[in-house]
Formats: sequence, C-alpha cells, structure tokens
Amino acid sequence: MIMLDRSIIPIPTKELLFNIPEIKFLKLVNDIDISFVYKENLPIVYAEIIIFSGSRLDPSDKKGLGYLTSLLIDEGAGEYDALQLSEEFEKLGSAFSVSADHDTIILSILSLTENFERSLELVSKIVLKPRFEEKDFQREKKKVLDQILQLKDEPSFIASSAFERRVFGDSYYGFPEIGFAESIARISNDDVKDFFASTFTSSNAKIVSAGNLNETEIVNLFNKYFSEWISISDNNQYFENPKRKETSYYFIHKSDSAQSEIRVGHLSKKRNTNDFIPTRIMNTILGGQFSSRINSNLREKRGFTYGANSSFHYYKEAGLFEISTAVNIENTGEAIIEILKELNGIREHISDEEINFAKSYLIKQFPSRFETLNQIAKNLESLLIHSLPTEELINYTYKVKSVTNEEVIASAINNVLPDQLVIVAVGDRKKVLNQLKQIQGAEPVELDLYGNLLT
Amino acid sequence: MTNTTKQVMTKNLLKVDYEKYSLSNGLQVILYPDLSIPVVAVNLWYRVGSANETNGKTGFAHLFEHMMFQGSQNVPKEGHFKFIQEAGGSLNGSTSFDRTNYYETVPANYLELALWLESDRMGFMLPGLNQEKLDNQKDVVMNERRQRYENQPYGLAWEKLFSNLFSNDHPYSWPTIGWMDDIAKFELDDVKNFFQKYYSPNNVSLVIGGNFDKSNAKDLIQKYFGDIKGNAAVQEIKTSLQSLSESKKIIYEDNVQLPRIYLAWHTVKAFHENDAVLDLLSDILTSSKNSRLHKSLVFEKQIAQDISSFQYSGKLDGSFIIASTAKPDITLEKIKDEITKGINKLISDGITENELLKAKNNIKSSYIFSLQKIDLITDHINHYNFYLNEPDSFLFDLSRYEQVTREQIADAAQKFLTMPNVELNIIPKKM
Repeated sequence: MIMLDRSIIPIPTKELLFNIPEIKFLKLVNDIDISFVYKENLPIVYAEIIIFSGSRLDPSDKKGLGYLTSLLIDEGAGEYDALQLSEEFEKLGSAFSVSADHDTIILSILSLTENFERSLELVSKIVLKPRFEEKDFQREKKKVLDQILQLKDEPSFIASSAFERRVFGDSYYGFPEIGFAESIARISNDDVKDFFASTFTSSNAKIVSAGNLNETEIVNLFNKYFSEWISISDNNQYFENPKRKETSYYFIHKSDSAQSEIRVGHLSKKRNTNDFIPTRIMNTILGGQFSSRINSNLREKRGFTYGANSSFHYYKEAGLFEISTAVNIENTGEAIIEILKELNGIREHISDEEINFAKSYLIKQFPSRFETLNQIAKNLESLLIHSLPTEELINYTYKVKSVTNEEVIASAINNVLPDQLVIVAVGDRKKVLNQLKQIQGAEPVELDLYGNLLT
Repeated sequence: MTNTTKQVMTKNLLKVDYEKYSLSNGLQVILYPDLSIPVVAVNLWYRVGSANETNGKTGFAHLFEHMMFQGSQNVPKEGHFKFIQEAGGSLNGSTSFDRTNYYETVPANYLELALWLESDRMGFMLPGLNQEKLDNQKDVVMNERRQRYENQPYGLAWEKLFSNLFSNDHPYSWPTIGWMDDIAKFELDDVKNFFQKYYSPNNVSLVIGGNFDKSNAKDLIQKYFGDIKGNAAVQEIKTSLQSLSESKKIIYEDNVQLPRIYLAWHTVKAFHENDAVLDLLSDILTSSKNSRLHKSLVFEKQIAQDISSFQYSGKLDGSFIIASTAKPDITLEKIKDEITKGINKLISDGITENELLKAKNNIKSSYIFSLQKIDLITDHINHYNFYLNEPDSFLFDLSRYEQVTREQIADAAQKFLTMPNVELNIIPKKM
C-alpha cells in the first residue's frame, strides 16, 4: 500500500451552483404584501407579520411603550383570555412568539402544516382583537420593571446599551427597547391601546411566509383571516441623525467583576449604502468571523478573551459599527490598545490573500443561509425592512465576486474611523480606571448604568 | 387528512436510512445520504468527557477540545477554522460529562477537505503541539470560565448544585469547564497522555449526513482514517450509587438583584424508562403559560419573576432541577412552599388527559422542527448511536413519550420529587 501524503490539501474538482429559492410576491384583498417561498421537504409552515413599529415610536417620556405593547398583545384576544389563548397554541404544538426591537414588532408562527390554519386563525385574533385587560397590563408592567432591575446584573447588556446611548445620543436608537423604571412607571393601559391602534394597521404591516403550502393556499388562508384588517394613514417619527465626535473613553463601575466588557465603535452608514458589500468583505477580515484579525489577536495570540468580534449593524435609519469583547479585567487597557491597533491597521493594509479568503467565505456560505424556514424568512425580512430589491439576494454572489480590492481598501478608510470612536469599558473601578488612564490620549469619563454622564 | 395518513407521514419522516460499519482500526462509521440539500455534515463523537477526569485534574477534556483546534502535523494553528470557513462551512466542538463532539457542515464538494482535517487531528495531533499553544488556550479557557460562569449573574449555580448533589468521587460532581486552579496547572504531558488514552479511532463514531455519494465517501474514509492506529479499549467508568440521606441547603451571595432558588433531586440516567416521563413532568410543571407552577407562581400569585425545570440525564446518572427567581420582597421560603404545594397536588390529584396531550404534542412538534438542520440530524444520529447503539432511533425516541400514561407522571413525581434534595439559594450580596 502506498503511504498517503497528508500534506496535500484536498481541493474540489467541481464547482457547485446555487440559486436562491424562488420568491413570490403576493397581495391580499386588502393590499397587504406577502413575500413567500415554497419549501416542501418537511410538513411545516412558518409565517411572520412585520409591524413597522418598535421602540423608535416610543414617546420621549414613555420609553419602553412599544416593548410593553409587544408583551401585552398576546395576553388574551377575541373570546380567549390570556391563559385560554396560550392553551389553544399549546394544544397545537405550534411555536408562536412576539419580538420587538427599535424598528419593528414581529409576530411569528411555526407550525405543522396540518395545524397551520388554526394557528393562523389564532394569530389573526391577536392582531385584530387583542383584549388589553387591566389586570394583564398590571402584571406584565410589573414583570418589565423587575426585568429592568435584573438587567443591572448583566455587564454585557450594560456595556451595549451605554455604548448605543453615547453613539446615538438623544435620537431614538440611543435608548434600550425595554425602557427605564421611571418611563415604564408613567405608562398606562390606555397608552398601550393607543400605541397599538396607531401602529398595528394593515398599511404598516408586511407578511413573510415559507413552507409546505402552495401560494394559492397561503393567500387564501391569509385572506380568510386578515381581510378585515384596516389601514390607517402611516405615522412616522423623524430620525435626527446624531453626529460623530472625537474619540472619547468612558467607563462604568461594576464591583467585583471578573472581566471587563468592552465596546468600541461609532455611527456608520445605512444599509442601502453603495459600499455595503465591500464593507462586509472588509469586516469579515477585521472581526466578522473566527479567523479575523481582531479575534486572532485578542484570543489566539494573547489569550485576553474567549472571543472578540466586529460588526456593522443596520437599523432602518442608521448604521452602527461595533467591536465587542469581554476580557480578563487585568488586560482591559492592553485589549483596547490592541483593538485600536487593528482599527488603524485595517486602514493601512489589506492583502489580496485576505480579500480572496473573505470573498470565498461569503460566497460559499451563502447557500447555508437558506436551510431553515426561519432563515429564509429572515433574508426576506431584511429586504423589506431596508426597502431593498430582490436582486440583493439573487445577485449577491455575483456582486461579492465583482468587488475590486481597491473598493475593499477604500471601505476601510471610509468606514473605520479611529479618531471618532466611542470606547466603553464596564468593570471594577479599582482595576479598570488606571489602565484606561495609561492609554495615550485617554481621559476616561464615568457613566451611570444607562450611559449618562456622571457629573 | 385522516389519522392513519398522518401517522404514516410521521413514520416516514422519522425513518433514517443509514449504513453503519467499522474500519479495521475500530472507527465506527455511519452514513446517511440526503441528496435534497446542497451541503454535507461531518460529525464525530469521541467517547470521552469530563466524567473521565479525576479530582485535581478537572476541566481537561474541555481544554483538550480547544487544543484540537490548534493544529496538527499538516494543519497550522487556526488552520482548521480557516480552511472550513474559506470553503463556506461552519464548524465547532463541544464537551459534556460523557462525550466530546466535533462537527463541520460544508458545501457538498468539500467533503474530502473536512475528512482530511478531522483525520489529521485524530491521528497526528501531537506533532503540532507546543507549550505556547497550550499556555494560550489555558488563558482562553480561563476567560471562557470568567465570561460564561463567574461574571454572569447566577452563573455558578450549576456547579454549586452538582458538587453538592454528587459525592466527591463521582465525576458529575465537578463542572465540565473545570475548577480554575486545575485549569491553570495543566502541562504538555497531560495533553500527550490524554490523547494517547482517549483519542484513538476505536473510541470514535463518525457520522456523515447530507449530499454525498456513498461509495465515494467510503473510499475517502478508508483513505484518510484507514491507517490511523487503534489503541486499547477505554475502560468503562465505575461509579458509586448516588443518594442523599437528608436534604442539604446551600446559601451563596452573588452580584444579583433578585434571589433565586434551585432544587435538585437525584433521578435516572439517559433513556432509563423514567427519563421520558420526567421530561414530560418538567413540561407539565413549567414549560408554558398554563403549566402548573408557572400559572400558579408567575401568572396568578405573581410571587416569582420566572420558573423553569428540566430533567438532566447523562450516561451515568441524572437529576431533576427546578429554578425560580423571587419577585422583590418575596422570600425564597415562600417560593419553595408554593413549589412543594404544586408538586404535592400533582401527586395527589394526578394530571389531566389534556395536560398530557399538550406535553406530547409540544415534544413532537419541536422534534419535527429540528429536522430542518442537517447538522442537528447528524448529531442526533451520533447521540442515539452513543446511548442506544442504534443510529436510527428517531421513532423509538418519540414513542418513548407517546407511550407515557398519566399515572406514570404522578408516580414519578412521588418517587423522585419527595426524596431529599439539594436546595441552593443565590441571594444578593450584602452591601
């Protein structure tokens, strides 16, 4: 037998072709858009109703109203009280959930095909006839207040929300979806009803669905249960774009912490920017996956952390560039210095090899983003939230391939701005403060748990 | 659709058409082709976990898992991640009490790459090893311990419970991540000895699922794994029978705003006849808004912020755990009292047919939902092979739940949840 030469890296002999599943754009009798993908391999169906609402529509003195509304929406509807309604879903084994973020409230259902119609009927009751009873309101409001109390224990939440507060200032992305104890205290059940009435309208909603029903069956079912849904003129809240400022260092005291949570970054462009794909390639190299520069340096070279990453996050009206890590508290200062080196480094040099790696990674992993019904729906959802054409998905592979190395390099220079950073560290003052002070140019300012300046 | 057609559909869906065989070095291979998807998943279970460790050397199985990503004879440090990611794949590994798994899902044309990488570290890991890599990963793991346990509110609950529930010589008494002092002490010789003892092909099962040609895959497996030498069989772990003669109460102060109570009882190991019964009991107690304890403590009385429970079952033993966070100004005694009342009521009155049906439907749906991902299916196949020695146990597993009766649920509550337990109170630090 010939000995196998294991130093030879196996290379595929044939290329794989991948086409995304066909997306159908359907309309209900009352004009609501449905984006739909047929997938037959399992007897299951997923659907979600996207309400363009969320915490960006919270009144300034009632932060948390959108989130609280999302908790109350399924506490009883039509002929069912809160427990009975939950019971109906439990009987079916269907997974119903509501999520709320800055830009949307999303109601989603995953069900066996045989139980989909009944599940959808229940969802329609939630959308069209929620009860909003006072006793449910009092219970859920108290639960939110206690959740807010518990979040004081979560260093990761504290760091992220303080970071966004400093980046977005007083604009509506600068506040956590859940709100604050004082703002929740001001909210009444009537506020919730008003928020619901003004935002849960058919003109403010879109539907995404995928699974083992054909397009006629899907449209017929939605028409059967949602045709009464009426439209009210759109409402919108003006987004005042915050400005970036020169690099500032902040810290938040958390006693006896074993690690410090670090966030570094700044405001960035919206999702519809022309250099979205070059930026994605650049970020893949910088901190977007395990072998990235930031993770290789902080974890695999120095052992400061279990993991570190960077991301460009896209809200509807603004983008956020953020590096996130938790490090051994003794290494807080060094970790920040290394992050700064990487931010400067990516602007100075990116090799062809790195770009080829990142392109290969993004192109070849693309098919796996369509494996589950939920993943398919999230791809469609993103098109709807950012008002993008389907070509964004259909031409994705081609677009990544066509990006030039110059465009990737330009994206680093235009989108990574080391002199306009917000830097936040959460950890014990006794250990963190001195380390921050030793960083050249740093004058650390203390924040409270919510990211407000302590003076 | 009639009832019979529904049953037939479920049956076909859960039937896994596989082929299982062994190489001459003892490596078990299980092949499960599914040409309807564009990817192939490779999943290996090494039959070694933290239960193979000893006191003073805890956390090593997990640290070793980290070392398996540090390169081997023909793969540089970080190379494993780089190659798979460049191919558009996803990958990871995990360690539990009983086993360590490694997996990658890659586009169908990259199966050979995944097999090359897995075989190089299975057979030729030691030549890639050095002190610098070990020191680096010790730091990373110590930071993992800080991030996931020490710096998390209630993060040390699990290890406090298990170290009190199991006797000091039982390997479930220490956490899989290990004690910090032990992690700091490991040396290169530990890595070498562990590799030689446990990381040999006769201690591994390899599952390939998804888009591949069976005969081609067999050739590739022989090519890459055929010449790796097998070692002596690993001895079964022997443990003493565990029980508590009386209940224990532990109070621990942590950086938390609200106190939380944990109750843990000894139960049964994985796939014991009461294992599925206890899963259903957990579902009936806490899984939904209408579940008994949730409805009583969270919804109606509003004395708890949350409540959860589960049956943890491993190869050697099992435990049933209930955890609940008190609302401000509510004592943990009050919470415990209500939990006890709820359990006693379930034992004396039994459960309704409706409760049992909901719990079964919930488990069945979650099961079918999970079949969407080939990496989960291959891991399940390895799971069944490991515990039952039969990869195609999807239907058997589901039928364990289908067959449970109302009486069995009440009997199990009586049998296990009225015995002595470990009570852990995590309370706010005094200022």
